[in-house]
Parts: sequence; C-alpha cells; structure tokens
Amino acid sequence: MQARHGHSSYRDRTDEFFGIVETLRRSIAPAPANNVPYGGGRREDPRSAAVMQSEFNRRASVIGLAIHQTSQKLSKLAQLAKRSSVFDDPTREIGELTAVIKQEISGLNTALIDLQAVRNSHNDERNISRDTTTHSATVVDDLKNRLMDTTKEFKDVLTLRTENMKIHENRRQRFTNNPSKESTNPFVRQRPLASKPAPSQPAPLPWANGSSSSSSQLVPRRQGEAESSPLLQQSQQQQQMVPLQDTYMESRAEALHNVESTIHELSNIFTQLATMVSQQGEIAIRIDQNMEDTLANVEGAQSQLARYLNSISSNRWLMIKIFFVLIAFLMVFLFFVA
Amino acid sequence: MALNLRQKQTECIIRMLNLNQPLKQSGTANEEVYKILIYDKFCQNILSPLIHVKDLRKHGVTLYFLIDKDRKTVRDVPAVYFVQPTQSNIHRIISDASEALYDTFHLNFSSSIPRPLLEDLASGTLKSGSVEKVSKVYDQYLEFVTLEDNLFSLAQQNTYVQLNDPKAVEKDIEAIIERVVNGLFCVLVTLGVVPVIRCPSGGGPAEMVASLLDQKLRDHLLSKNNMFAEGGGFMSSFQRPLLCIFDRNFELSVGIQHDFRYRPLVHDVLGLKLNRLNVQGEKGGMKSFELDSSDPFWSANSSLEFPEVAVEIETQLNKYKRDVEEVNKRTGGGSGAEFDGTDLIGNTKHLMNAVNSLPELTERKQVIDKHTNIATALLGQIKERSIDAFTKKESDMMMRGGIDRAELMAALKGKGTKMDKLRFAIMYLISTETINQSEVESVEAALNEAGADTSAFQYVKKIKSLNVSLAASANSASRSNIVDWAEKLYGQSISAVTAGVKNLLSSDQQLAVTRTVEALTEGKPNPEFDSYLLLDPRAPKPSSGGGSHVKGPFREAMVFMIGGGNYVEYGSLQELTQRQLTVKNVIYGATEILTGSELVEQLGLLGKKMGLGGSVAASSSSGH
Repeated sequence: MQARHGHSSYRDRTDEFFGIVETLRRSIAPAPANNVPYGGGRREDPRSAAVMQSEFNRRASVIGLAIHQTSQKLSKLAQLAKRSSVFDDPTREIGELTAVIKQEISGLNTALIDLQAVRNSHNDERNISRDTTTHSATVVDDLKNRLMDTTKEFKDVLTLRTENMKIHENRRQRFTNNPSKESTNPFVRQRPLASKPAPSQPAPLPWANGSSSSSSQLVPRRQGEAESSPLLQQSQQQQQMVPLQDTYMESRAEALHNVESTIHELSNIFTQLATMVSQQGEIAIRIDQNMEDTLANVEGAQSQLARYLNSISSNRWLMIKIFFVLIAFLMVFLFFVA
Repeated sequence: MALNLRQKQTECIIRMLNLNQPLKQSGTANEEVYKILIYDKFCQNILSPLIHVKDLRKHGVTLYFLIDKDRKTVRDVPAVYFVQPTQSNIHRIISDASEALYDTFHLNFSSSIPRPLLEDLASGTLKSGSVEKVSKVYDQYLEFVTLEDNLFSLAQQNTYVQLNDPKAVEKDIEAIIERVVNGLFCVLVTLGVVPVIRCPSGGGPAEMVASLLDQKLRDHLLSKNNMFAEGGGFMSSFQRPLLCIFDRNFELSVGIQHDFRYRPLVHDVLGLKLNRLNVQGEKGGMKSFELDSSDPFWSANSSLEFPEVAVEIETQLNKYKRDVEEVNKRTGGGSGAEFDGTDLIGNTKHLMNAVNSLPELTERKQVIDKHTNIATALLGQIKERSIDAFTKKESDMMMRGGIDRAELMAALKGKGTKMDKLRFAIMYLISTETINQSEVESVEAALNEAGADTSAFQYVKKIKSLNVSLAASANSASRSNIVDWAEKLYGQSISAVTAGVKNLLSSDQQLAVTRTVEALTEGKPNPEFDSYLLLDPRAPKPSSGGGSHVKGPFREAMVFMIGGGNYVEYGSLQELTQRQLTVKNVIYGATEILTGSELVEQLGLLGKKMGLGGSVAASSSSGH
C-alpha cells in the first residue's frame, strides 16, 4: 500500500494543451514577429502574482499564515505543558511561549477586524459583483473560525497546565508535611529556577499595528502579580525550608497566577470573537442542497409570475371595458349632444 | 490493506481542490489559497456524497457554483473547474475565460478529455486572447459516484433498456459499452490496480465490456508513463483483485424482488438517492436525511432485517436516556455524598466532563431521531402495501420454484400498489420453471384488474418463452450442480440431500452472483465456472488465459453489474466477506443503482418497444 501511495491517478495535460495552442497560434499568425513567447507569463510567477493580488487577498493570506504559525507554537506549548514530571518543569519556557502566543492572538484579532474594515470599505467604494462580496465574506469568516479554534486550543492547553501544576503542588505538600523526609527531600537539590519569568518582548508583529495598546498592558500586570505571590508561603510547615525552595515556591505560584490571568484574558477574547463569528449553520450542508432551495425558489417565482399574469390580464379586460364605455359616451355625446 | 474506494476518491478530490499540489501530512495544502469551485451536474453528484461544505471551506473553497449558472466576476481569485469533458462545458469555459471572470483557471476533467475537445478549447481561448488565463489542464479519472466505502455507481441511466433494446443498432450498443468501460477504467485508475477479469462467456454485454476493458488496460499499460504503479509489481501480482463482470440478465430476479432488510428497504420504498433521503415529516414538510458511513447507526445496522432495526433503535434510545440520567445525577446538586464539598476541583471537573459529553449526547440523539423518523415512515409504507407479505411469498417462490395458486391470487388481489403486484407477478414468472398457461392468464387478468401496466410482464413472459429462461436457468443450473456434487459426495438418497442443501441455500438467501463470486475467488476448479472467461491485462500474450498464478485465491474482489445494481446484492456481497475467509473485501459497482420499480419500469419500456412483433430481435439482443 505504501508503495502505491505515491501513484497519481490523474494526468497533467497542460503541456499538451499549450502545445496545441502553440501550433494553432503558428497556423493563425505565421509571422514570427507577433509570436511573443509567453512561457514565463502564463505560469504564475509567485512574485508577480503577489503584486497583482489586491490588498485584501494579501492581508488575508498573511493572517492565514500567522494563524498557522501560532498554532504550531501552540502545539509546542501543549507538549511542554503535558510534561508532568516535578523535577524538570519548564516553567520559564512555558511562560515565554504563553506570552508570545497571547500577544499573537490578540494581534491577529485586531488584524482581522482591520481586514473586515478593508472589506467593508471595498464593498462601498467600488461596484463589485455580488460573488466577490460573498467570496471575501467567506474568507473573513473562515479566518475567524480558525482563530477561534486556535484560541480554544490555547485555552485548553492552559487549563491542562493549571491542573498539572495543582497536582504538583498537592504532591509537594504531601511530601513536605513529613519532616523526617525533609532531610532527604529531593526538592532541595532542585535546579535554581529563575525567580521571574522575565517576559521576553518579541519583536512587534507586522500585522499588529493597531494592537500595541492592548498587548502592552499585559506586561505590567504580570510584574504586579509577581509581588503578590509571597502570600502563598505563609504556611508554617515551610518555615524551615531552605531559601532555595522559597524561590521555587514563589516561581510556581507566580506561574499559576500567570496562567490564570491568561485564561481570564482569553475568555475576554472569546466573548469578543463569539460576537464576531457569525453562526455558520452550513457546516453539514451538502452542495446539492442549494440546488433544491433554488428549485423551490424558481417554482415560487413561477407561481408568482402566473399570479401576476392573471392580475394583468384581468386588468387588461378592465381597461378594455372602460375604453368601450368611454367610446360609447363619446358616441352619445357626438350624436345626440353635438 | 483493503481497497477503500470512497477514501481513495475523496483523496483525489481533495488533491484536486488543492490545485493538485502535494499535501502535507495534516491534509491541508502548504500554501493557503482561497479559490472558487465550479462543477457541472454530473460532477456535483460525484462530489455531494463525498465532501461537505465544511470540508470545502477547510480546503479554501469559498464559493461553489454549477457551471451553467450565471456567475459574476471575482477578481484575483483562482477557479477550479471540475467538469465532464463535453462540448457545452468547453464552450462555457471559453466564454468564462474570455470574460476574465477569475484570475486563473485550473481545469479538471472527470475523465480523459479527447484531443478534438482539447483543440477546441485551445482555439477558443486563443481567439478570445485568454489562453494565459488557463493555468492547468488535468484529466482526473473520477467519473463515477462512490456511495459507500465499497459501493460505486457509474450514474449511467437506462443502460438496461439501451442494451436490450430490440431496435438498437450495433453502433449504439458499442457506444454504451464504451461508456461503461470508460467508467470502469476510471474506477481502476483511482484504485490504482490492474485486476484479473472474469465474466460469463457467451457474447453478452458482460463479455463485451470485459474484453474491451482488457484491451484498454493493455493499451494503457504499454504506454510509458501509465497510471498504475509499476514498481510494486511483486506485491501487486499477489494482491491483484478479481473483477467479475455480470449482466443484469444473469440474475434478473434480485433486481425485482422485495427485500426486508433496512438498507434495501430504505432505498426501495423511500427512494434513497446519492445517500440522501427525503421523508415526509409529521407536519407535512419534507425532511431530508443523510445516510452514509458517518452515521454509526446506519453503518452498523443497515444490513439487518427491519424488525431488528426497530428493536435496535429502541435499545439505543433507552441507552441514551440512561446516559442522560447519569449525567444529570452527577452534576445535579442533590448528590453531595459523592464528593466532599471541599474538593472543588473534582466538582468542577465533573461539571466540565458533563459539558464535554453534551455534544456527543446531542449527536446521538440526532441519530436516534433520524432513524426513528425513517423507521416510522417505512412502517407506514410497509403496513399500507403489506411489503412483508410480498417479501415472504417471493422468497418462498424462489426457494420452491413455484407457488400455490390460491396464495398467488390472494397476493395479487390484496393490498399493495400496482407496482408491487407487477413485481410479484414477474417474480412468479421467473421462479416457475414451466409456464402454466391458464395460471399466467389469470395472473394477467388480475394485473389488469389492478390497473397495472402489463408491458413489463409481457416482456418477461416473451423472453422466458423464447430463451428457456434467463434468471431461473441460472438458478436451476446451479441447483442441478449441487445435485451432482451431492451425488458424488454422498452417493445416497439424492433427493433428501438436495432438499437439505436447498433449505440451507434459501435460509441464508444466497444470490447467484454471490455464489459465483465466492467460487471464482476461491480459485478451485469448479465445473460450473470453468467456462467463465479469464482475462489478465498484465499477461504477456492476449490469448493466454491459463496463467496458474492468476487462478489462485483472491483476497480482493470487485463485482460489476451492467444494467443496474441494487442494495440487496451489495448487502449479500458484504456478508460474503464476513462469512468467508479468502475474500477480505468486495467492491460492488453498477451502471446505476436501481430500485425494483425502476427496473420494472425499464422492463416495461422494453416491452412497449418490442410491441408484439419484434420477438426475433429481442431474443438475439438479450441472448445470454
């Protein structure tokens, strides 16, 4: 089966087609002067095609690509978050990735809104065909749906992460409750974790021109959270702990807060998106369903036309009758009065 | 390992939608391109059972139109055309290109576009100066409709009438055969296999199709860049499928008889078409359902008898209710005993689980509702037409080779539509080995009384009296073979043994086609099927047919019925794969999928065409 997988069940006849075109062209216009070699022109050169594309298409493809990249990052994050080992907890990487993805998602969100604005302005300014409007509407909807899916996935990953961390916390608590084991506690030789996740500021995203305001306010908040975290280490059992573990605890608590705040923020984006995404009930529709609707519409139109014809013909009779009455009056007037 | 036609065709279509670019593993194209899909009526039929709007969207199709619809310009967007290579479609494409409706045109033809049409296309686009718009031209070899994983139809209507038409000219017949072969060739290309072909000999349409297909495959294999994988020759020589080609006349009765299993019933009574079903709703509106492999209930129970299906729906409903109760119990506030109040995480987890299980539950509910609706509609029809009685009596007739006169007349005078009675009468004709003149006359009278159109009946009667019999002969022949076999084995009281065998046969409803396919795939010497033609397109010499390796047991089989197949045969062949060890997979195909009444209508058409005089021509064309 694997060997057969590569086989192609179609045949490219493009060359044959252009061969025929070439011979025909020669037979029609034998003069070689106007026989312009068009070999380079017909195959869409990616660059020239990109130039030709309208602004809308370009933006749409950029956003599509960005969504794709984000989801790739997301899958990496999911892998990191799934690691349940207590000893090797990639808190920092997760923190960074979360920040980046969050920023990207909000950036994409604004970019989408911009795209919609572009679409609306295009619709207004030019006399564009109905099909074009539908096309661009579908593109925007599709992008929205994909962003929605990505956001949902992101939220799931973060929830998973929170749960994992809670489990770790519980396990830790159980061990640290027992002072006899304290001396041999493997946590003591934890690798020193960074006390702060040091949110790396990624380069401003090209599409996020309007989003800088929303993304910049995330960063200060995170630093504010870091200060509130020592609350957690109030429990008495931990008083004998080595300072190294304090920082560990701190970092964990901080990470927890981070995740929670991110989820909260995400839910905001969610509601925003939910209002934007038009409910697409067409998901399970088959392409021939439209046909039937059309048929029904045509039949409806036909009956309407028939009714109109009826009314018209009755009107016509009325007019003829009135005409006759008028003629009769005219006759009477002419013969008897005049 | 098994060949899955539906999956293969879907793959081909998805590749086409992605402009024939290589796919990534995730199943989407490397580059995100938004495009417009344009198809004609035939290709719409191909697409609609396979791919939903959701999937189209996933592959970047924003708009989809029929080709003859009035379409507007969409700038900067490529268009994918998927059409049959016909004159009118070519003209339409040329006019679209000259109006520059779309940015680029990716033309995909459902079967190989002939050279003259390609030249037309070239000259047309050249004249309007729009050659540059045409980006790619492809032959897709997809000219067949896949309904289920192992079921396809060529969607060629009225093939039976055309092939058996007494007035048909040689040229017409050849054209039809050509069309059928073309469709079959597309199927084989899509599957990427070169089968070993077997068919009944004797100059019928089956043999014509078989030899022409053999020829076509041979020609194709000779050319350098053929579409069948040459590299895996070693593997494919062992796992080549067996293609059995039959003619509807091989066993006419299956197409006509009533059946009481779910899928045939839904098809026959409610008119399942392209996996879609329209049922009269309770409030009078039409409801439309889709039945395919995505429906778990349908794929699990479609081969059961109708009463069992009803029971199954009931159990599913009860199970659903139980599950809903379970969810309610878990999340309901009253059950604090299960978890202590402090364990908030656990509580929310339960809630989350409940929420997550809701979509699955609603989906199940929808499936149950759908099948309840269908079953209710079916039951109404069955009661009104007493289809159960027809089914029972027909299978009795086929088993015993006759029927009690009183029972016969009772059925013809009882409930049921004209068509049911007509089908019953034809079944009576086919099943009886000798025609009792007075009985036939009384049957005819009864049919006339019921107001049925008897031309189909007349046609079958004529054929039957001309040839010794068509379908019954197949039956009786096999029966006599079993007698021989029994004699050899036991050498004792033959009648007792045969009676037993007969009962055995009838109890699991073996059809002649299924029996034949079973015997052919086993590859053991069998006197009944040795006369069958064997064509191997990969064999070096055209005349050689006795290669030992191609006779061996086959794991894969394809069965093709010329002149209309049905779900009864399909079901029977699928059962074969479960019952038998050698054959793992059977793909069933036909020129079109016909209900009993549609086939009888075609018979009636033939009867009318033949009138009374054209008996000689009829016997020659339906010769078998």
